Amino acid sequence: MKKTGGLLLLALLFVFLTAGAFGEAGITSKEQLNQPGMKVGVSTGSSSMLAAEKEFPEATIVYLEENTIAYESVAQGKIDAYVFEREQMQKAIDSGRKGVRLLDENLDEGVIVGVGISPVSSIPDLENRLNTFIREIKADGTLDDMLNRWVTLGDETMPEIPPAQDPQLHLTVATSGIVPPYSYYAGTELTGLDIELARRFASWLGADLAFKVYDYGAILPAAVTGDVDCIMANLNMTPERQEALPFSEELYQHPIGIMVKADSASIGGFLARVKESFYKTFIREDRWKLFARGVLTTWLITLLSVLCGTALGFIVFTLCRKGNRVANAVSRFCMWLIQGMPMVVLLMILYYIIFSKFAISGIAVSVIGFTLTFGSSVFGLLKMGVGAVDAGQYEAAYALGYSNRRTFYTVILPQALPHVIPSYKGEIIGLIKATSIVGYIAVQDLTKMGDIVRSRTYEAFFPLIAITVIYFALEALIGWIISRIGFNINPKRRKPEKILKGVTDDD
Amino acid sequence: MIKIEHLKKEYPNATPLRDVNAEIRDGDVISVIGPSGTGKSTLLRCINQMEKPTSGKVWLDDTEITDPKCDLNKVRLKMGMVFQSFNLFGHLTAIENVMRPPMDLLGKSRQEAYTNGMRLLRMVGLADKKLNYPDELSGGQKQRIAIARTLAMDPDIILLDEPTSALDPAMVGEVQEVIQDLAKTGKTLMIVTHEMAFARAICNRVFYMDEGGIYEDGTPEEIFDHPKRENTRRFIRRLKVLNLEIDGRNYDYPAMTDEINRYCAKNQITPRLSVRIQLAFEELVHQFMASPAENPKALVVIEYSHDREQADMTVDYNGPAYDVTKHGDDLSVKVLKSMVPDIRHTASDREGYPNRVILKLRN
Repeated sequence: MKKTGGLLLLALLFVFLTAGAFGEAGITSKEQLNQPGMKVGVSTGSSSMLAAEKEFPEATIVYLEENTIAYESVAQGKIDAYVFEREQMQKAIDSGRKGVRLLDENLDEGVIVGVGISPVSSIPDLENRLNTFIREIKADGTLDDMLNRWVTLGDETMPEIPPAQDPQLHLTVATSGIVPPYSYYAGTELTGLDIELARRFASWLGADLAFKVYDYGAILPAAVTGDVDCIMANLNMTPERQEALPFSEELYQHPIGIMVKADSASIGGFLARVKESFYKTFIREDRWKLFARGVLTTWLITLLSVLCGTALGFIVFTLCRKGNRVANAVSRFCMWLIQGMPMVVLLMILYYIIFSKFAISGIAVSVIGFTLTFGSSVFGLLKMGVGAVDAGQYEAAYALGYSNRRTFYTVILPQALPHVIPSYKGEIIGLIKATSIVGYIAVQDLTKMGDIVRSRTYEAFFPLIAITVIYFALEALIGWIISRIGFNINPKRRKPEKILKGVTDDD
Repeated sequence: MIKIEHLKKEYPNATPLRDVNAEIRDGDVISVIGPSGTGKSTLLRCINQMEKPTSGKVWLDDTEITDPKCDLNKVRLKMGMVFQSFNLFGHLTAIENVMRPPMDLLGKSRQEAYTNGMRLLRMVGLADKKLNYPDELSGGQKQRIAIARTLAMDPDIILLDEPTSALDPAMVGEVQEVIQDLAKTGKTLMIVTHEMAFARAICNRVFYMDEGGIYEDGTPEEIFDHPKRENTRRFIRRLKVLNLEIDGRNYDYPAMTDEINRYCAKNQITPRLSVRIQLAFEELVHQFMASPAENPKALVVIEYSHDREQADMTVDYNGPAYDVTKHGDDLSVKVLKSMVPDIRHTASDREGYPNRVILKLRN
C-alpha cells in the first residue's frame, strides 16, 4: 500500500512515464478491462492485487504504492482502471475526488481483514484473548455498529470508551494513520474504526494503550520483531502475510471495486483550485499543526545528527590522525559498511535488530543512524581538508617547537576548516532530505505528515509540493546558519581590530 | 655546541649521508656548499631532527638529541629553521606569524610578543606589512618575515636551508642583506646555499659536502682560495672535467674527438676555444705517438672553467722521460706553441705515467 517519500516520487515518475493512449471514458464492465493493452492499477501487496491478477490475466497490471497517486492516474487516463477496496474509493469520491467514478460491478473476491498479532508479544495468550474479544463484539453487534457508523454512514465521531481501570498490561498497537475511515488523523487526533477497535480491546483486556504509526512497508516487521503487540490497520489477510505472522479471526470483508475515468467535470480555475487545495491541506482541521510537528521532528533529527555526527567524525579523525593502524582499519571498515548501506536498511537494522530489546524511540534511533552516516561524512571531509594543507606548514610548526597535537590544533585545523565548509553545508542539506525515510521506523517527520494529510485530502500533489517548499525553507535556513559559521571560522576574514586585540603600539 | 658523530642517513633509493662527523662551535657561521644531491639539506634537517638519521649521534651541548627519549620540542625551541619555501602560516597575518610562536611556546604575553614582533618586522623592513597575509606578499618579503619569525623565538642556533633558492633573482639581495645582519649577532648559523659570493661574505667556516660527507672543512679563505682537495677545487672553480684514456697506438681517434665535441657543446664552450681544444689534443697525441715508448699510453684530463673561459688540458703519458714540446715534428710543436706560449714538460707523480704536459688554453 503506502510507503515513503522516495518511493512515492518514483511512483510519480512511473505514472508520468507510463502515460497510456487509452484515455477514453466509456468502460462499463469488467470484460472490457480484461484485454491486452489495458492497464489495471493495483495497490502493491494487497489482497485486491491478488484478486485483480486473477481476474484480469490479459490486462497489464500496474503496481502502485499510493492511493492518491492511483486516483490521479485514473483521472488523467494514465491507467484505465484502479482496483481497490470499494468503500475507500467511494469515500474518496464522496470527499470530492473529481474525474473518477466507480463501476457498479465488484470483483468476484473480496478483501478479508484481520488483526496481525506479534508472535513475541509480552501479553500472555494474546491470540486467544483477541479472538475471544472479536467473537464477543461480533455476537453483540458492536462490530456491525462500528462498520455502520464509520464506513456506511461516514459518521466520524469517536464514541466515549472508558480506559481500563488499574491496567495490568501494556498494549502497543501498530497502525497506519493514512487510511480513512479506518486509521487517520482528524486534525492532530488519530481516529477511525481501527482506533476505536483498539480502544475497545484495551478496555476489555484491562491494558493501557499506545499507538505507533508506521509506513505499510515497516508495519509487519514491527510486529514480527515485537516492537508492537498487534497491528490494527485495516490489514488484508493475504496468504503470504499469514506465513509471516499469526492473524486473528476474520474481522470483516470488503468488496473490491473498480475505479475508472469519469467524463471530465469542471474543476474550476487554477487559482481557485490552489486556494481550495491550500485550504484543505493546511487550514481544515488545523492540519498545519501536523506540518508544524513534522517540521519540528525533521529539524530535531537533523540538528542532533549534525551535532553528534560532527563530534563523532571529529573524534574518530583525532584517533586516526596519528596513523594508528588499528584505529584506521576499524574506522575504514565502519565507513565502508555505513556508507555502502542504503539508509533505510541501516535504520531498519538499528531499530528492529540492534535496539529491538531497548525501549528507545524512533527519533533516538534516527539520530543514531544519521549520526553514523553524517559522522563518516565529516571524517571524510576532515581527511580531505587536512590533506589539502601544505606539508611545509607541519614542518614549520615542528621546527619552531610545536608539539604534534598543538601543530594540529593551532596551525593545521584552522587552515583545513575553510576548505571543507562548502562540502559540509552540502552534506547537511543532503541529510535534511535523507531524513524523509524515518517514517519506516514510526517517526512522524515532515514527509510522513505530508502522507497523512494526503490520505485525508485525496490531493495527489499539493501536499507534496507544500512539503518540498518547506524542505527548501529548512535548507535555506540551515545554509544561512552554516555560512555564518563558515564566515566566522575563516581566520582570513577577521577584522584588523580583532587581530591586534589587546596590544598597543608604543610608537 | 653541536657535535655530530658518524651520522648516516639512508633512503630506500639513495644514501645522501654516509658518515658525517663535525663539531660546530657556538658563534660559528657556517656555509654548507656542494653539488646538488650531496646531502646538504639532509644534514641540516638531521641536526634539528626533522629527518631521523639512520644511525649516528647528534649532541647539542650535553644533550644527545638523537636519543629517542629526548624532548625534541624543547630542543627545537633553541634551534630555529628557515625554509626554502618559507612555510609561513597561511591563516595568520605577518605580525601574528611572528607573535604567535613566542606566545604559544614561550609563554610570552600578547603585548610582549607584539612589541618584540614589531621590532623584528622593522628590522627586516616590513613593519608596514604587519596585517598582510602571506599570500599577499612577495617571495622576498615572505622569507624576511620567516626569518623574523625564527628570530622571535630567540634561538641559539639558526639553520637556513637554501633561503634564497626559491626567490626571484631580484629579491635575493633583500633577503641576503637580512641574513648578513643576522650573521653579526653572534648566533650560531648554518646556511645551505648555492650563492658562493654570499657564502663567502658572511661565514667564518665552510663545509664542502661531497661523497656522502663533509669532504672539506675550513675557513672561507682555505676553501675558496686554496682548496686542498680535488672535488672542492673543481666545485669552487666551477670546473667541468673530461677524462680520456689512450691505450696503445690503436686507440679510437674519431670516437675521442667526438667525445670532446660533445663535451664542448654541453658546457657551452665557445666555438673558437672548442677548435683550439681539438687542435691541441690532435697535435699532442700526434707528438707523443712518436715517443720511444713501446706501447704509448696516456691519460688526458680537460678542465674547463666557465668563469675564466679557460680550458686546462693535462696529459700524463708513459715511457721514458720524453718532452713532446722539444722532440718530434717541428710543425706540431709550432702549432702548440702558437696556442700556448709557456707549454712545459714536467715529471708526473702518477704511477706508470712519468711524463706530464699541461696546456692552458684560452679563448
